[in-house]
Amino acid sequence: MSGISASPRPALRLAGQKLAAPAQARRRVLHVRGTDVTLLEEVRKLAEADLGIDIVYETLDFLTCQYRAAMDPLAYDIYEQCFHNLDIVWYWGALQPIDTARIRQWENIGDLSKAGGISKYTWQGHGDAPVRKLYVQPDGTLGQQPMPMISMLPTAHNVDSFGYDRRLFGDEGPEGASWAWLLDRRARGRIALVDEPAIGIFDAALAAEANGDLTFQDIGNMTVDEIDSLMALLETLRQQGFFVGSWLTPAQAETMIRNDRVSVQSMWSPSYSNLGAMQGVFCESVPREGYRAWHGGASLARHLDGAKLDMAYDYLNWWLAGPAGAIMARQGHYMTNAEGVREYLSPEEWGYWYEGDIALCDLKGPDGRIVVRAGQRRPGGAYRERVGRIALWNTVMDEYNYAARAWTRFIAALGTRPS
Amino acid sequence: MTPKPAPQGQEPLYETIARVLRHNIVSGRLPEGLVLVEGPIAKLMQTSRAPVQASLRMLNAEGLIHRFRGRGYLVGRASRGPAPIRRPLDDFDFDIPAASQSALAVRGTWLRVYDRVEAEIAACQIFGEFRVIETELANHLGVSRTVARDVLSRLNERGLIRKGAASNWLAGPLTARTLQEKFELRSIMEPAALRLAADFIDYGQIARVLAQINTGQTKDAAELEDALMRFCLGRAPNAALIEVITNNRLLLSAMDKALSDLGLPVDTVALDQYGALFQLIGARQINAATAFLQEHLRILSYKSLARLKIVALIPESESLPKYLSKV
Repeated sequence: MSGISASPRPALRLAGQKLAAPAQARRRVLHVRGTDVTLLEEVRKLAEADLGIDIVYETLDFLTCQYRAAMDPLAYDIYEQCFHNLDIVWYWGALQPIDTARIRQWENIGDLSKAGGISKYTWQGHGDAPVRKLYVQPDGTLGQQPMPMISMLPTAHNVDSFGYDRRLFGDEGPEGASWAWLLDRRARGRIALVDEPAIGIFDAALAAEANGDLTFQDIGNMTVDEIDSLMALLETLRQQGFFVGSWLTPAQAETMIRNDRVSVQSMWSPSYSNLGAMQGVFCESVPREGYRAWHGGASLARHLDGAKLDMAYDYLNWWLAGPAGAIMARQGHYMTNAEGVREYLSPEEWGYWYEGDIALCDLKGPDGRIVVRAGQRRPGGAYRERVGRIALWNTVMDEYNYAARAWTRFIAALGTRPS
Repeated sequence: MTPKPAPQGQEPLYETIARVLRHNIVSGRLPEGLVLVEGPIAKLMQTSRAPVQASLRMLNAEGLIHRFRGRGYLVGRASRGPAPIRRPLDDFDFDIPAASQSALAVRGTWLRVYDRVEAEIAACQIFGEFRVIETELANHLGVSRTVARDVLSRLNERGLIRKGAASNWLAGPLTARTLQEKFELRSIMEPAALRLAADFIDYGQIARVLAQINTGQTKDAAELEDALMRFCLGRAPNAALIEVITNNRLLLSAMDKALSDLGLPVDTVALDQYGALFQLIGARQINAATAFLQEHLRILSYKSLARLKIVALIPESESLPKYLSKV
């Protein structure tokens, strides 16, 4: 994936201090801190070419990214992560509001991001639906009442589920899947969960509720007692040898599948097209309980002003212009202005990724490898069908501090198990 | 309010101080009309001002002293209208009975260590649940186990630690639920205290706080929160209410301090809100001020909850004192 800091850093900047004019010969530099979900080398090169600036990516893992975005806000200009990370980063005072009047495509951003669902009749989903963190309210908090200023420009998003081995769970098709499979006795010893607490804990909770072990009053905002019950259940299952381990990066998840060590695990796009011989054996589920969704975006660092701020707005506007959305689509992610993306995709690509049509030819991923074979259909169907079935959003819930510590202890215990 | 029948070593400090003052007034050592202000009394008894304030409010309620147009209280009943006598307490035959003296001295030893332990125990709770080990605490402080136990029972009274099933002392964890409960309590009690205090607030003092805000001398919200407590809520003529408010704030202030030590920038929105609050209080718009305080606390609760989440990403401080062990 994209590399860290290729060009020299600019001179030390101090908060509130005007930036010195860039040296005559050098191009202007924009520093972007984010994760490998959106910081793709293909995106960076295209943006550099279109905007005529140098862009330096700093790619971090999920936890480090949100932590350093909050604690070290002078070291970047743009922060790209997810809406559920904003509770930590926004309230730490690291970001500045984005003026929607300066976002050219603002009107074309879809209602999933701006209103909470693709139509007013759609259920928003439990947890941190992006609209609940989108608008900057007059008292400085984030809320869903529309305001001219926003916290994060909504960009890439997707709905996730889990992956399963159809040799074990049968061939009834992905639509027959249930989150219950993620803690299914049939897969004992061959189950893996993602390490990240804001995601993994919900995969486990959805599974525990689907198989009837536990019920949550609000699965997107668990109480201390509910967290205790969930962790106790997971610990019991761990002692019974249910789990083969946890994974930190999608590459680790893919390796476990290629080595045939898992039958069901936390997983998401684009891993399904990196499975080698296991492609077609290990499938993306369409759980009947609904998806676990996430929504990415880009925010402005608090220290930006003047020409640097203008450059940052150019970059935000570029994100919605279309080419970036096309790259995102090829790894299975949606963009908020879908129609703008359409003209940068072939009709076959648009049909497969957005419309849920059968692929009429082989389709390539962002790096040029073939990721979809002719004749395949995207599990879950078209955009509207998939995002209409969101059970829950990735969430940093109220008891996150308590839950994440309990989760970390569980993951550490998993790691000590000989594999 | 009536003092609880408790042994002198464990009674609240303000009761010990009230006992000493009462003794000196009733025995005629302090003349009618003598002006009592908290500063010199605190110095004489080697305590802080807060318990002296509380004890003066008690004696006022008992009718032994009364408020007058100046600062402080006058000895004697208001009905007799004595002329104020302003002289240092040293001029009189002020007597501290032996029993009270030893109570004050014991206070001295453990007051010295108490504040530090209180800060450490309050601060650790954002990192989860801890057992407090009494013997380790005594070693850590270089005091006897009796003093360590006194410190622990005081922490227990103030709601910072509790007894576990195995009769051991437990602290934390500070969960979102605890935080929300504490803010809910604040929004019930603090506006009520402000209302009660309206007639006792020194409005000259409020003007000085406002001047400091307007000239940009006030740098963080914690300073103004403290001023609100000292100059407004703390003036409510209800010592029990003030004590509950103070105790309820302990964990929250410790969390704020821990977050600010981690580098949380100044919350300018909160600063502005305190500014607006002091404006309302300064204008004696007490109804508006209590409503505003309630709304301010709601927003603060929401923001504190979000800020607490970052702590999940921070490993427990390695500098945690040895007497705390992770549960």
